[in-house]
Amino acid sequence: MTLNDLAPLIPLMVIAVSSVIIMLGIAFYRSRAFSGLLTLAGIAVAFITLFGVQGTRQVTSLLILDDYALFYIGLILAASFVVALLSSDYLEGRRENIEEFYILLLLSTLGSSVLAASTHFVSFFIGLEILSVSLYALIAYTRNELNIEAGVKYLVLAAASSAFLLFGIALLYGETGTMEFSRMSSGISAQGINKGMLLTGFALVLTGVGFKLAVAPFHMWTPDVYEGAPAPVTAFVATVSKGGVFALLLRYFIQVDMHAYPSLFGAVAFIAVASMFAGNLLALLQKNIKRILAYSSIAHLGYLLVAFLAGGVMRVTAVTFYLVAYFITTLGAFGVVTMLSGKERDADAVEDYQGLFRHRPWLALIFSAMLFSLAGIPLTAGFIGKFYIVAAGAGSALWLLVIMLVINSAIGLYYYLRIIVVLYAQPGHSEVSAVSSLPLTGSLVLVLLTVLLLWLGVYPEPLIEMIHRMTMRF
Amino acid sequence: MFSKHWMLIAPARCGAEMMELLWLIPAFPLAGFLALAVTGARMPKRLAAIIGTGSVGASAVVALFIGMHFISSPPQGHLSSQTLWTWIEIGEFRPSITFYLDPLSLVMTFVVTFVGFLIHLYSTEFMAEEEGYSRFFAYMNLFVCSMLILVLADNLLLLYLGWEGVGLCSYLLIGFWYKDHANGRAAMKAFIVTRVGDTSMAIGFILLYFNLGTLNIQEIMQRASQAWPVGSTFAVAAAALLLGGALGKSAQLPLQTWLPDAMAGPTPVSALIHAATMVTAGVYLIARTNVLFTLAPVVQEAVAVIGALTLLIAGFSALTQHDIKRVLAYSTISQIGYMFLALGVGAWSAALFHFMTHAFFKALLFLGAGAVILALDYEHNMFRMGGLRKELPLTFWTFLIGSASLSALPLVTAGFYSKDLILWYSLSSEDGSPWFWAAGMAGALLTSIYTFRMVFLIFFGAAKGRVSRKPGMTMKFPLLILAVLSIIGGFVELPRIPIFSEFVKTALPSAKTLHEGLLGEGMQQVIASGVSLIGVSIAYLLFLRAPLNVERFTSHPAGKALHRFWFSGWGFDWLYNKVFVGPFIWIARTNKDDFIDLIYGGMAWYGRFFHVALSLTQSGKVRWYAMGITIGAVITIGITVFL
Repeated sequence: MTLNDLAPLIPLMVIAVSSVIIMLGIAFYRSRAFSGLLTLAGIAVAFITLFGVQGTRQVTSLLILDDYALFYIGLILAASFVVALLSSDYLEGRRENIEEFYILLLLSTLGSSVLAASTHFVSFFIGLEILSVSLYALIAYTRNELNIEAGVKYLVLAAASSAFLLFGIALLYGETGTMEFSRMSSGISAQGINKGMLLTGFALVLTGVGFKLAVAPFHMWTPDVYEGAPAPVTAFVATVSKGGVFALLLRYFIQVDMHAYPSLFGAVAFIAVASMFAGNLLALLQKNIKRILAYSSIAHLGYLLVAFLAGGVMRVTAVTFYLVAYFITTLGAFGVVTMLSGKERDADAVEDYQGLFRHRPWLALIFSAMLFSLAGIPLTAGFIGKFYIVAAGAGSALWLLVIMLVINSAIGLYYYLRIIVVLYAQPGHSEVSAVSSLPLTGSLVLVLLTVLLLWLGVYPEPLIEMIHRMTMRF
Repeated sequence: MFSKHWMLIAPARCGAEMMELLWLIPAFPLAGFLALAVTGARMPKRLAAIIGTGSVGASAVVALFIGMHFISSPPQGHLSSQTLWTWIEIGEFRPSITFYLDPLSLVMTFVVTFVGFLIHLYSTEFMAEEEGYSRFFAYMNLFVCSMLILVLADNLLLLYLGWEGVGLCSYLLIGFWYKDHANGRAAMKAFIVTRVGDTSMAIGFILLYFNLGTLNIQEIMQRASQAWPVGSTFAVAAAALLLGGALGKSAQLPLQTWLPDAMAGPTPVSALIHAATMVTAGVYLIARTNVLFTLAPVVQEAVAVIGALTLLIAGFSALTQHDIKRVLAYSTISQIGYMFLALGVGAWSAALFHFMTHAFFKALLFLGAGAVILALDYEHNMFRMGGLRKELPLTFWTFLIGSASLSALPLVTAGFYSKDLILWYSLSSEDGSPWFWAAGMAGALLTSIYTFRMVFLIFFGAAKGRVSRKPGMTMKFPLLILAVLSIIGGFVELPRIPIFSEFVKTALPSAKTLHEGLLGEGMQQVIASGVSLIGVSIAYLLFLRAPLNVERFTSHPAGKALHRFWFSGWGFDWLYNKVFVGPFIWIARTNKDDFIDLIYGGMAWYGRFFHVALSLTQSGKVRWYAMGITIGAVITIGITVFL
């Protein structure tokens, strides 16, 4: 291997190097501004270098930086950038040392990016662990009781799920003799394979991935962790960590043709339906916004799995567009929560938002836009995304799943609208509404996200074409 | 691959840069709406007026430039279109945001922007004392924007957006004074009644899309004439369903009942939406899809019959009203009846011509009525007005010009030329008949009677009310301009010098005339002139010279009953209340807890039940969650391995 072969990895290296520099920097002198700016700069530079990736795209058998991976890494970096911007103001005054936060943020971003690019079980597992280990600390970062409880819960359960995953990988390796995704399908078609072992391996991998994606029945940790984590970290868990894992799942099951195993298909369909129902029903009367958003993300991952199960070209388009819409919306929604959160506790009770429109009309409008998008109302990106999913599902004649999706969209509408109604009601008495002034960077980020949301809802063509170009070379 | 598709849907682009500005025409009012809506009541009135009026003025200027360019150097095929972007793209379903300009949409755009601008200008003074000043202009701008989208749309989906947009604005503006419950009810009535038609139209659109595979209007027309023979079931069904939409929007029989009540809105609204522009959307729709109606002669015949009946029924009702605005409302229904008659006999350009002149003189009459109403402290009853010609000279003269045009007084008025054309074609066209002509003539007589009844009651006789305020410059100016247009607007289409029909003939086929011999065109004009003059004389005799005769007639039991019958709009409201509203409310009430509700109620109940049940699983205990993962893994393995 020459140095030249490593060139496509530059974006990942930039992220890694930035975290090391910050770490070393802290050893000499602590500076919030330095760490924050370096983080932002590192992510931005990594993002720019994505456009320069050319030449050999396959780096060893572990990683590949094709257009698909580059697109997802770009999405992950953009989301991390937003989270970094949101956290800088949020962390102020919550903890004395906030420099390490950025190291952890960069590392987990790196882990997620590795997932998006991995073509091998080893890189998959390493990426997943880099992501998870940093997340344990991030979730508990502000060290109040809720934080720590959430962090420990996540640690224990993620470790357990990793065990399932590893067991699954071991079974698959044992049967096929390879850990490379691309060679696995030829290994499967070899003679004398134990189909039961193979399928069990798939099921266990699905369990491990399902935990990360927080789909039912592996979803129970989600609300507790979402509620306990600091709001920007929740946004991170909901977007960056899930995006990378989903990208990997899609790549894996395209390379190992999932449609060849009807029973595996059935299992994913079961997970999809269970997630939609569990997520939406649990959110129905929930009174905590962070928990509502957690349940809603469970349901949304269920919708995504419907598109995932569809075949053909539409699948990647639908999944990718939906994920982009989901990223924007989730970041926006948690962004609003972050901005309104007081020092004692996050603004996570629905009552905190009562009459928000009266004293913070813009924030209320932005939040409404995000909720409308989550509910899939036209003129938002969420609508177009859902439209593509339904189209993909209908195109592959997955009628039962599509009907389930429609029913669940109707159920979901209830709790999104419930929040919107509260936003425009008469103001209540809540200390959260008394937050004096909103930080400028956060406000700009939210406005940008809202513009993107509406833009993609009205004029999605450029993004769609970009995704088409990406999938064509997939 | 995808960019190639994109090129395919964008039709031959016109090279001229001027046409690239087309998008600005609806964009200006939209920007005005957004600015006004976002700032709301915080915006000073002056600024709101400038933004509200200026945005429509700006699009009128752009329309003027584009129109001049269009006339001086017509683009290839006399049409040009501008594709802004494709909204979504799913296989064949590829609705684009494309504006389409041909003579038909150009005329509509002209009228909407110019008359719209004048009415906005008028409103700056008319609404000056009102609460919700910027809200008013926001709605009005949104209306103009939607109307422009409607007439410029190149595909059915965009047209539908505009169509629903104007419906929404109509609702909002009828109920503008929402604190009075009656206004809210009138707004709801307008919305619901037009919705009946809209639903039919939407089904028609879906039918067209599924059978012809495209949303583009021009392509639909081409494919329809290739795929469907004349009189085929699909053509008839599609035309009939579209006609349903047109009837609702244009307040034609049997969906005409909402328009008189719509007068609850501010007078400029009545002028703009319920006289000049929105209510003629049905006429536009039929003219735009004229190929379909030619393919369905039965439906086209129905259009003519409905037009003829409506113009008579509404004419009689107009004769009996006390409220000045209701007279004008019935008159609008009646005049649109003429347009439908023209469409029904295949005189497409005559319908469009009458639409244009009607927009001028009816807007003028409404604005004049508004000036009178304002002068007499919101008095609507004509019997409590009188002798105003001295006090409000300008209003009087312009109102007189508008009335003359509406009554089609010969030679000098715009209304004469347009109505004459319709009457002529109703007789001489291939699809015409003496019956249509007779109905049109009777309607013309009624029109001039009720119009001059209005003029005599308001401006002549003894003064009954005190004039509390006189219109200022910003109200007078639109009146003057519209008065001029109500006269010269007709000269673009003189017999034997048909500039207007020549201009629109690329978009609208010319009428096929047949039996010339029955009555010469000159002869018919003489008769029509005579009829309108007779009508004026009758009005003079009945309402100025000897009003007692009328009273004697209406105090007679039979006369009284007839009066009441006409006054209430031929009892349609009563009938609909008995046949539809009453039973519907009764069914709704008795069915309140029926099985349909049970389904929804059951869903809600199950939703709550499962919410509670599932919430129990969220115990917060790690061991339980780990157990959950394990159970999940077992289920997953179970499904994958054993299924």
